[in-house]
Amino acid sequence: MTTLVRPRTPEAVGVSTFGEWPAVAGGDGGHRPGLRERRVAEETVRDAAEERAGRTVHLGAGVLALSVLADSALEHYRGSFHNKAMVAPLVSATLSLATNAPATFGARAPLPLLDAVQAAAAATGVAGLGFHAFNIGKRPGGLSWLNLFYAAPVGAPFALALSGFFGRCAVRLAGDSRTLFGWPAGRLLAATAAGGLIGTAAEAGLLHFRGAYHNPAMALPVTIPPVAAGLLAAAALKPAPALRRAARVGLVATAAVGVAGVGFHLFGVSRNMGGFRNLSQNLLNGPPVPAPPSFLGLALIGLAALSLMEANDA
Amino acid sequence: MKPTPGVTMLPSDNPLTTPRATNGRAPDVFRPGAWTPMRCWSDDDEVDFAIVGTGAGGGALACKLAEYGFSVVAFDAGPYWRPLEDFVSDEREQSKLYWTDERIVDGDNPLRPGSNNCGKSVGGSTVHFAMVSLRFRPEWFKARTTLGYGADWPLDWREMWTYYREVEETLTISGPVTYPWGPKRPRYPYRPHELNAAALVLAEGAEALGIPWSATPLATLSAPRGLSPPCVYRGMCVIGCSTNAKQSVLLTWLPRALKAGAEIRDLAMVGRIEHDGRGLATGVRYHREGRWRFQRARNVVVAGYAIETPRLLLNSASAKFPDGLANSSGLVGKNLMVQANQAVWGLMEREIRAYKGPPSLALTEHWNYKDDGKDFFGGYAYMSQGPLPVAWSSVLAGQRGLWGQGLLDAMQDYNHQVGLKIVGECMAQERNRVTLADETDRYGLKIPRVTYSYCDNDRRLIAHSLAFMRVALEAAGARDIWDETDDTCHLNGTARMGDDPRTSVVDADCRAWDMRNLWVCDGSVFPTVGGVNPSLTIQAIACRTADRIKTLARRGEL
Repeated sequence: MTTLVRPRTPEAVGVSTFGEWPAVAGGDGGHRPGLRERRVAEETVRDAAEERAGRTVHLGAGVLALSVLADSALEHYRGSFHNKAMVAPLVSATLSLATNAPATFGARAPLPLLDAVQAAAAATGVAGLGFHAFNIGKRPGGLSWLNLFYAAPVGAPFALALSGFFGRCAVRLAGDSRTLFGWPAGRLLAATAAGGLIGTAAEAGLLHFRGAYHNPAMALPVTIPPVAAGLLAAAALKPAPALRRAARVGLVATAAVGVAGVGFHLFGVSRNMGGFRNLSQNLLNGPPVPAPPSFLGLALIGLAALSLMEANDA
Repeated sequence: MKPTPGVTMLPSDNPLTTPRATNGRAPDVFRPGAWTPMRCWSDDDEVDFAIVGTGAGGGALACKLAEYGFSVVAFDAGPYWRPLEDFVSDEREQSKLYWTDERIVDGDNPLRPGSNNCGKSVGGSTVHFAMVSLRFRPEWFKARTTLGYGADWPLDWREMWTYYREVEETLTISGPVTYPWGPKRPRYPYRPHELNAAALVLAEGAEALGIPWSATPLATLSAPRGLSPPCVYRGMCVIGCSTNAKQSVLLTWLPRALKAGAEIRDLAMVGRIEHDGRGLATGVRYHREGRWRFQRARNVVVAGYAIETPRLLLNSASAKFPDGLANSSGLVGKNLMVQANQAVWGLMEREIRAYKGPPSLALTEHWNYKDDGKDFFGGYAYMSQGPLPVAWSSVLAGQRGLWGQGLLDAMQDYNHQVGLKIVGECMAQERNRVTLADETDRYGLKIPRVTYSYCDNDRRLIAHSLAFMRVALEAAGARDIWDETDDTCHLNGTARMGDDPRTSVVDADCRAWDMRNLWVCDGSVFPTVGGVNPSLTIQAIACRTADRIKTLARRGEL
C-alpha cells in the first residue's frame, strides 16, 4: 500500500462539512476542460473533502474529549476523587482535547505524539470501563438496577475510549484517507460512530429511565441517535446515495440533540431545589450538563465518515 | 397595640394562631407568599360533605369528592403550613407538627402520642411521615380466613390493588424497578432513591443471611415533578420537608381538592357532630377564630385518625345515642392497634452518617411474606434508620439509660451508629381502647384516655424481630449492639370496618352502620394492621370510598 500525504487545498478551508461539495478551483466560463484537467480538478475536490473529513473527525474527537473532561471533572469531583485513579480521565481527556483541537484547524503536532496521546485516551477509557464495572459489582445487589443507576456509570468511560480511538483515526487519516487499520476508512469510521451512538444512547436511556422520563424530551436521545446510527451503519454497508442522504439528516438531527441537550439539562438543573441560585450544588445534583455533546461529537464523526465514503467512491 | 399614624397594621401570619385559608383563598404551598383561590361556603350552606381531618384519609377523600362534583368543606385542627417558609432544620421547632394536646395514657405499655403516631397540620401526619409507602400483603385482607388470626376485611385485595396504584401515581412514589414480594404490581412512577450508608448496612446484613431486601418505595421524589424539586437528601423528612420533595397530602391531594372547589378550614377544631330526630347527622360544631360555629352538611366524614376519631364520635353522644355515635356495636374506641417499632442499634467502624437522606431507604419484608419459622401470628418489615440528633440522644437517654458523660461519649459515635427498626403487626384487642377522660381541654372537650397493652403474640413477634435483626446487624459488621425494646408507631383500628353491624362500626364503604350519612375514613377502620406503614392503605381506602360514594349517589342511595 502506498502512503500518500496529500497537499492541503486552501479552497477547502471554511467550507461546510455537511455534505456540500466545494467549488471546483480554477477554470473560467469559456474554457472546456480536457480529461487531464478534469482529473486534476476531481482529485483536488476529493483531497479537499478528505482533508475536511479528517479535520471533522478531529473536531468530533475533540468534542467527545471536552464532554468527557467536563463530565468526569464534575462527577469525579462529586465523588471527592476518593480513588486517585479518578484523576486519570481528566488528564487524558485534557491531552486528547489539546491535540484534537489544534488539529481541527490544521495545526498538527508530530504524528507519534498525537498517536500516543490518543492511544492513552483510548486505554484510559477502557480501563475506566473496568473500574466502573468493578464499582457496580462490589455493591450489595451486584448488577442491579439500583447500582446501574447510582454506582459509577457503566458506559461513561466508553466516550473517552471512543475519543481516543477517533483521535487516532484522524491522525492516521492525515497519512492515508482511504484506509484505517487496513479497513476502508469511511466505512470503519461510520461503523464505529454508529456503535458509539448506540452505546451513548443506551447510557442516556439508562439514566433517563432513572429519571423516569419525567420530561417527554428525555425520549429524544434514545430515539433520534439510534435511528441515525442505524442509517449510518446501513450506509456503511450499502453505498446508496439515498441512504447516505438519510443518514446525513439523521446525524444532523443527532448533532442538534447533542446541542439542545445542554439546554434541557440546564433546565433540569434549574428544577432542583434552589434552581440556578444554588448552582454549585445543583450542577452536581441535576442532569449532567456536559454529557449531551457526546452526541454532537459522534454525529460530526459520522458526517465525516459519510463525506469520506463519498469522496473515496468518487 | 395602638396603631401608629401612617402605618398599616398587617394581620398576623402566624399559622398557629391565625387561620390562613380564609376569604376565598388558601396558601399556595409551592410559591412563597402566594395564594391559590378557594371556594368558600357559609355555615348555613348545607354542603354535601363536611370532612373532619385533612390527612391521608380526609385529604384524599376531600379531593376525590370535590372532583366528583360534591360540595366539600374539610376541617383541620392544625395550621396550614407553607413548607418552603415555615419549616426549618430544627427538631425542637418542628415539634409544632405533632398533636401534643393533652391526653391520658395508661395500660401495661402506655403509648407516647407525638412524633411518630400523630400530626396536627393541614395534611395530617403525612406532613412529617417517613414516606414509606407499602402495599398490604394480599392475605392480610382475609387474615382470619387465610392466616388464622385477627379479622377479615370486607375488601378484596384485587380491588385494593387498583386503588393502591391510584395513590402511588398521585404521590409519584419512587420505588424499585421490581419489588421482591407479593403479586406483580405496576412499576412505581419514579425510580428508587440512591441508598445511603445505613441502607447499605441493611442490604449487607440481608445478603449475608440470604434474605431479599429492597430499596423502599417512598413518597419523596427522585426526579422533578410539577413545582416540586427532587429530594436533596437533607434527612429532615420526619420533622417536615422544607423543600417540597416530600409528596405529602398537603402537596398532592389538597391542591387538587382546592382546584376542584373544596374548601379547607385550618385551625378549625370539630368538637361535636350533631344529628336530627331521625338519627341522621346534620353537620358539625367546630371552633375557629375564638368561637364555636356550626356547619350544616348532608354527610359527615370523620377522619381524625385512631384517637381523635373515636373521641369525636364519643364526644357527640346525645340522648338518642348515649354511648356516642355509630356505637351500637360498642366497638367505637376499641381494638386500638399500634405497630411495634422496636430496633436494634450498633456501631460500624466506618462512618455511616445515617441521618443523610430519607430515614428508611432500604427494607426487607421477608418476615411479612414468610410464614414458616415463626412462633407468632402476623408479620413485620424492618427498615434502615436515620434518627436526627435530638431524637437519637432521647433514645440513648430514655431507652439505653445513658446520662451525663456516658451520653456525651455515646453521642460522639453518632456518625457511626446504625440501626434496624421494625414496623410490626400487633393484634387487635378490645381492652386496648380510646375512651373519654373526665378532664377537658382548652376547647372544653373531654380529652381521650388511651389504654394500651401488648399481648403475648405481640411480645413473641417483638422478640423474634430483635433476635433476627441482631444477627443481621452482626453479619453486616456492627459491634456494641443493643436492643431498643420500647417503641411503637402508627395507630389504627378504633372504628373497624366489617360485614356485620354487630362486630364492626362501619361497612366496606366506611359508612357507619348506625347512621347512613356518617362515614369514617382513616386508619380507624382497619380490622388488622399488617406489618407495613398504613398511610398508603388509608389513602387507597379513601379513594375507594370516594368511588363508592359516587356510585351510591348515582343510584340515589346516599
